[in-house]
This record gives sequence, C-alpha cells and structure tokens, in this order.
Amino acid sequence: MSGTTIEQPPILSIRGVTKRFPGVVALADVSLDIAPGELHAICGENGAGKSTLMKILAGVIGSFEGELWLRGRPVRFADTRDAEDAGVGIIHQELNLVEELSAAANIFLGREQHGPFGWLNDRAMQRAAGALLSELECQIDPRAPVGTLRVGDQQLVEIAKALSRDSHVLIMDEPTSALTESEVARLFRVIARLRGRGVTILYISHKMDEIFRLADRITVLRDGRLIKTLERAATNAREVTHLMVGREIEATQVERDRQPGEAVLAVERLSLAWPGHARGWRLKDISFTLRRGEILGVAGLMGAGRTELLECLFGASPQPPGGRVRLAGREVRFRHPAEARRAGIALVTEDRKRLGIFSQMTVGENISLCTLGEAATGGLVVRRRERAMAESTVERLGVKTAGVDSAITSLSGGNQQKAIIGRWLLTRPKVLLLDDPTRGIDVGAKAELYQLMDRLCRDGLGIIVTSSELPELLTLCDRILVLCEGCLTGEFSRADATEQRIMEAATRRAG
Amino acid sequence: MNSGKLSALARANRNELGLLAAIVVVGALTAAFDSQHTYLRNPKPVAVDIVRQTAMLGIFALGSAIVIIAGGIDLSSGSMIAFGGTTCATIMLFLAPEAMPRNKPVGIEVIAIAIAGTLAVGFLIGSLHAWLITTVGLPPFIATLATLVGLRSLGRVIIENVTGAVLGSKSTQIQIYDRQFRYLATSVWVPAVLFLLLAFAAWLLLSRTVVGRHLYALGGNEQATRLSGIRTDRLKWLAYCLSAMLSSVAGVIFIADQSVADPQTLGRGYELNAIAAAVVGGCSLQGGLGTIPGTVLGCLFLRMVIDGIAKVIKAGADVYEGLIVGMVVVFAVALNQLRLGGGGQKRFFAGALGGVAVLNLALLAGVLTALLGGQTAGGLAAVAVFALLAAVKFFERRGNRAGAGD
Repeated sequence: MSGTTIEQPPILSIRGVTKRFPGVVALADVSLDIAPGELHAICGENGAGKSTLMKILAGVIGSFEGELWLRGRPVRFADTRDAEDAGVGIIHQELNLVEELSAAANIFLGREQHGPFGWLNDRAMQRAAGALLSELECQIDPRAPVGTLRVGDQQLVEIAKALSRDSHVLIMDEPTSALTESEVARLFRVIARLRGRGVTILYISHKMDEIFRLADRITVLRDGRLIKTLERAATNAREVTHLMVGREIEATQVERDRQPGEAVLAVERLSLAWPGHARGWRLKDISFTLRRGEILGVAGLMGAGRTELLECLFGASPQPPGGRVRLAGREVRFRHPAEARRAGIALVTEDRKRLGIFSQMTVGENISLCTLGEAATGGLVVRRRERAMAESTVERLGVKTAGVDSAITSLSGGNQQKAIIGRWLLTRPKVLLLDDPTRGIDVGAKAELYQLMDRLCRDGLGIIVTSSELPELLTLCDRILVLCEGCLTGEFSRADATEQRIMEAATRRAG
Repeated sequence: MNSGKLSALARANRNELGLLAAIVVVGALTAAFDSQHTYLRNPKPVAVDIVRQTAMLGIFALGSAIVIIAGGIDLSSGSMIAFGGTTCATIMLFLAPEAMPRNKPVGIEVIAIAIAGTLAVGFLIGSLHAWLITTVGLPPFIATLATLVGLRSLGRVIIENVTGAVLGSKSTQIQIYDRQFRYLATSVWVPAVLFLLLAFAAWLLLSRTVVGRHLYALGGNEQATRLSGIRTDRLKWLAYCLSAMLSSVAGVIFIADQSVADPQTLGRGYELNAIAAAVVGGCSLQGGLGTIPGTVLGCLFLRMVIDGIAKVIKAGADVYEGLIVGMVVVFAVALNQLRLGGGGQKRFFAGALGGVAVLNLALLAGVLTALLGGQTAGGLAAVAVFALLAAVKFFERRGNRAGAGD
C-alpha cells in the first residue's frame, strides 16, 4: 500500500500548526498530510510535541494557530465531541474510561441508546458492544465493569468506543506501553483488521520494532518541529533514532574534573511489585551504586520507572520494595519518607506544583518546612531564626525573590525549584534525589540549576537525577543508568554515553 | 510603628479586620433598629449573654477550625458534645449515686474525675476518627458522619441503662443540680476565660509551633507534606483528637448550663454552627487556610447576627438560627470567593438556572418579609426583588453581548 497512497488526496491535512504555551513553543509551524488508509507513525523524544499535535487533532486542545483540513474541508474542533462527530478518535496513553461503568456503558457513554420514554436500552447496547468487542478478539462480558478488566482489554474497549463512533481516523498514543507480549500481538492483528476496513491510523511510539513493523510512513518531530517524513521502506531504525535525538547538545558546560569518592548508596536487586498490572512489576532487579561527589543520571521513557525508583529509595513507594539498599555502609529500609529524611536522603519531586510547593505559603515557609524544628525553642518557633534560615538559603542558592515573605507562587518555576532544593539542603542530606528537576523551566534557569548541582556535588553530595531530556543528562552526569519497562537496560559512563546509545537502550524491550 | 509596617499588618490580617468591622456594623444596626434599643439602654446583660453564647460556640468551633485547616472535616462535634455531656453526667452519677438525685453537693473531686473522664473519652473518639481515616481509609466526611449519628444514639442507650441501674428507673436524661458544677456555666467568666485560654493555646499551636506549621502544610498539600518527610497520619490524629476533646469540654459546659444531660437534644446540629463559624472566620474547606483569631471573630459575628435579628424582630433567636447561619455562611464565603477569584466579569443569573435563581431569591425575600411584616409587604418585596434581579439578569446579558462583540 505504501508509496501509492501518497498520491491520493489526503484525508487529513495539517497546515502550519503552531501551539504556544506560556514560555514555550510546543509546536512550531508543523505541516503534514495524512493519506487515507495509511498507518502513519509519529516519533519523537518526550517533549518533542507529539502529544500536543495529537491533542489538537483530537480536539482536546481547541486553540492553536494554523489550519486543519479533513477530507478537503477546513475544520476546527472546539472539543473532543466535535472531533468524534467528524470521525477522528483518539486512544490515549492513559485510558479514558469510567472504571465503575460496564464496557458497554463506556462504549456508548454520551450517546446512549434509549427506547421510548427515555429508558436506557441496555440490552441493545450490550449486544452492539459485544459484537464490536468480538470483532476485536476481545472475549469479555460487555456487562463487566471496566475497572475489573486487564489493561489490554480496557484498551480494546477504547478502540471499540472509537469504532462505534464510526471513526475514520484513529490516533493511538503509545498503545503498547502497558501491554504484555500476547496482548501486543492481538493489538497488531486488530490494527491490521482496522486497516482492512480503511481506517487511517496515526500511531505514536518510541519503539522502533513496532514502527517498522506497522507503519507506511514515519514522521519525526523534535523540539516542536517536524524534522522529516520518511517512507518506511527507504529508511531504517538507526536513521530514525538519529533524527529523533539529533539536536545539538546545549552550550552549557559543566566542568568535568569531579572526583567521586567512596560509595554512599548501594542498591541491590531492588524490585517493586505492580499488583493488578499485566507486567507484574514496576521495577525489577535494579542494582547500582552511587558515590560521594557523583551525579548519576537515570534515563528512560515515560513509564520506564524513573520516578518509582526514586520513590523506593525515599521510602515513598506504594508498596515496600524488595531488595537491599545500603546507605553509607548501613542497610536501610524506609517505611516512611520521614525515616529517609532523617537518614540523610532528600527527594525533590517530579511534579513541582502538585508534589513540591505549598502554594498557600510564603517562600520562607516553603524553605523552612522540613527543618522548622531547628528554629524552635521549647516547641515555639523563633521567627528570627526561621527567617535567618530561609534568607541564608535564598542567598546561597541565588533564589530570585522580593523577599522570604513573598508568596511562593510569585516566583518563576526555576526559582521555585531552587527554593525546594534549598528546603532539602537544610536537612543536610548525604544523597539528593532530583526527579526531572528542570521540567517546565526556561533555558537560563536550567543552566543555573546545572551549576548548582555541580557545586553541591563538589561539596561531597551524591546526586541522582532523572530527566526526559538526554542532552541534559549528558551535560550533567558522571554515569547514566537507562531504564526500560522497569528494568535496568543500560549503564554508561560519561565517556561511552551518546544519545543514540541511550535511546537504543531505552527502547530495548527487556527479554 | 511606621505606616508601612502598619499597612503590611493590615494586609496580612485583612480577613480579621473585615470581620471586626462587620461585627461593629451589626452591633450598630441592631442598636438602631431594635425598637427597645436594648443595646443602648441595658448593655451589660446583652454583653454577658453574647459573650456566653460566643464562648460556648467557640470552644468547639476551635476544634472544627483546626481540623478544617488540616484539610479534614469533623461533622461529629454536635454529637460529641452530647456524648461528652452524657459521659460527664454518667460518671458523676456513678461516683455520687446518693447525692446526685437528691440535690446535694457531689464534691469537687467527683467533678474533677468526671471532667477528666470526659476528656479521656474525647481523646478516644478523636483517635477512633483518626484510625478510621488514616488506617481504614475512610474519607473524613464518612468517618465523622458515622459518629455524628452513632454517638448520640449510644449516649442515649448508656443513659437509659445507667439511670436504670443506679436510680432504679430508666430515664433518657440525668438531672444535675450540683451548685459547684453548675458554676461552670452560671458565671459568664468560666466559659469566657476558658474560651480565651483555649483560643490562645490553639493560636500558639497553629501559628507558633512546628506542629502547627505542619498542620497548615497538611491542609494545603497532603502529598507534598508526606513527601517532605512529615508524618501526616500523626498530624491527623492530633487534629481529630483536639476537635473531639474540645467538643467534650463544650459538652461539660453545656450540661452545666442546662442542668441536665440529655443526649437527644444536647448540641443537636451544632457541628454545622462550628463549621460555619470557622468558614466565616476565613478557613477554607480545601484546607491550609484560616486562623484562630478569624475563627474567634467568626463565632462572635455569628452570635451577634443571631442576637441582633432576635432583638429586632422580637422572636426567639433559636427559631431563626439555622436560617441566619445558612445565609451568613453563603454571603461570607461568596464574598471571599469573589475577592480571591476577581469576580468582576461573573454573570450570576445566566441561562435557565439563573432564571430559577432569580425566582428563588424573590420568593425567599417575599416569604421572609411576609413572616415579619405581613402578607402585603411580603408580596411587594417578592415583586420588587424579582424585578430588580430580572433587570440585573437582563443587563448582564447585554453586557456580555457587548463584551463578546469586541
């Protein structure tokens, strides 16, 4: 089919689409024609703009610059309902189902079939749902609550929902990320069947084996720009990977003569179960050591287990992890972050707004929160001492603020992040865990954070940092661990690490 | 103190200053519109009464405020008052089975033991709440709703059994005549000073201690608090215990005031008054916001409004209490929302729901006016309010159209 499809008039045409979020351009002038009936893969690193583009196509994001044309007519979707009515459906990475409702009810949610007097016609909906599902090789009871189904079946319910709406264009956002091997095989058969019905599919994935197995054409996005659209037959995985990561490494350079000392944290066969999930584990048999004065990077795609790894080390995981962790030679097993904090581990969380800052408090209160006890005498906080604590931190880390009494929300993202790092430095940690600390922070502030981390590291702190951006890790880290689906699939010293090699390890399906 | 510092202080305590001004305004209005001008002619008993009422509301409202600031809710305080009162009376009856029914002094040590026992029960119930919420995983609303209905009924069963066993005949209440015990409420000083002391302690706890800061953090962002290495479960334990213990203290004062412990009527519905006082005082049900001074002023404001209306319309304050509390809460919180949310562009009467709201408010105004001033006045008020709000609705729409045209 490939090759010839391009000559037909496109079913979907994206023309000069630009999307700006405050402070960042998520998509810059993207133009792309999708031929009817093709399977078009969209690739790119985290943050390349894939999800933004798909959200625009599916009507999740309503305001953008540029035009969309569907079957030769300009369209503009105000919401997902508009898009569905026009025949564009999306299967989100995080499924969008009401877990308490049955499969049939989910499939017909918002377009329930009803008889006279407005009574729901459950029987008819269940029959229709059953027919759709069995067409998708999904052997489930349409009356079963969706929450009781396996992830793979839930995904098929989503697909059935899109089909019941007569979608001609189906967007699949990393559909295999939570599936087992056999579920993946079934999904591929379903995709083949959908294509037999003439459905056009936009398939987002990082996984080269899938892309090369399924796609007719491959489009690579990077930093919000469309880099290239390739014919599958005329390219290979190496070229696509190269195009995905091919940006210049940022100019920020951190000096490279750090001398790591003795091991401060040793992790042996760390595992974390994932009850109720097909894979069964969030983390599996992860072993590594961290030395004093070393920055250790953790790379991996979304859902690879980066955050879970840091949570385990900090005593904040949903279940107690298996394996052994030694901190400064002593075996530790934290049941609560309070114990980890006391033992000298600090965690700067991933989602700053949700898990990091206290938006109702001032800069000073945010900084002193963990160590307020040191500013208290006889149980009462001495304001002067608390203030001095906060002010010295502000000065030390160069937090730009009108004063420690300002609201934390008045600070820029980078300065909020510095305040949170400052909060943790006051606890005098031995190990600092930073979970994607530069997300949503502008370039200048990133450079400042890099310098700060380097300085802390030279003072003897052991740092583990995760990031979605490989260049960042390559700039910062002495060593880089790579996770894929909860397993350690690579470890590179700075000398060996390249974006290409890391990306390959991060997309390597663990055997 | 220079003017810059003063204005900063005023900004930081804007809510409290606003409440203070509102309290003065309510007092002035009552003095003016009360046909007997009781506030001017006979201020002392009025002041004593308001102070007593405020203190008796305030003691347990402090607990509600602490729980709300910590991001929870305690619906059980009314029932906890009843159960605390029941416990206190039951212990006294047990320890002084001869003296209690015969109107003789029971002795100071009996009173002391009874109060200590009541506090202990408060601690136990608070711990039960904390356990249900943190360990069993119930939402605070459900856990305290269960005790809201459960404790009152348990109190009644206990009283029936205890009176049956000790006095020989079952009763649903225990009479308390002891003079020393009743002094806890007959003198305005005991509840007033107790309230101020407790409020001061609560203020110290919340604004000057590490634990207090952690309570605000917990209310503001529970996940972030836990990930800051703070034991949120212990904080919840503390908050719910304080709330239950303060309610049981209030229960002791209430039975001293009423000279009877009747779990069926004692403190019925007061949980909502306490939550209302906290919310009027600036606490947010989302948690993390609010102050003790605000809550104290919130209590005073509620009592002033209730008392003022009673004075002006010469009817029992308790008849209108629920209505007044409801309206005051809506107004106070709506004002706060508008101030924070910048509601300049807001349309209040848009669409069909807005139409029904116009009708609703007009009917409410009509019914209230009719109750106070007769049917004709009521009818006129309804029509007038309807016309006014309909005009507002009309202009909102035009304003919106004009805005959309730009």
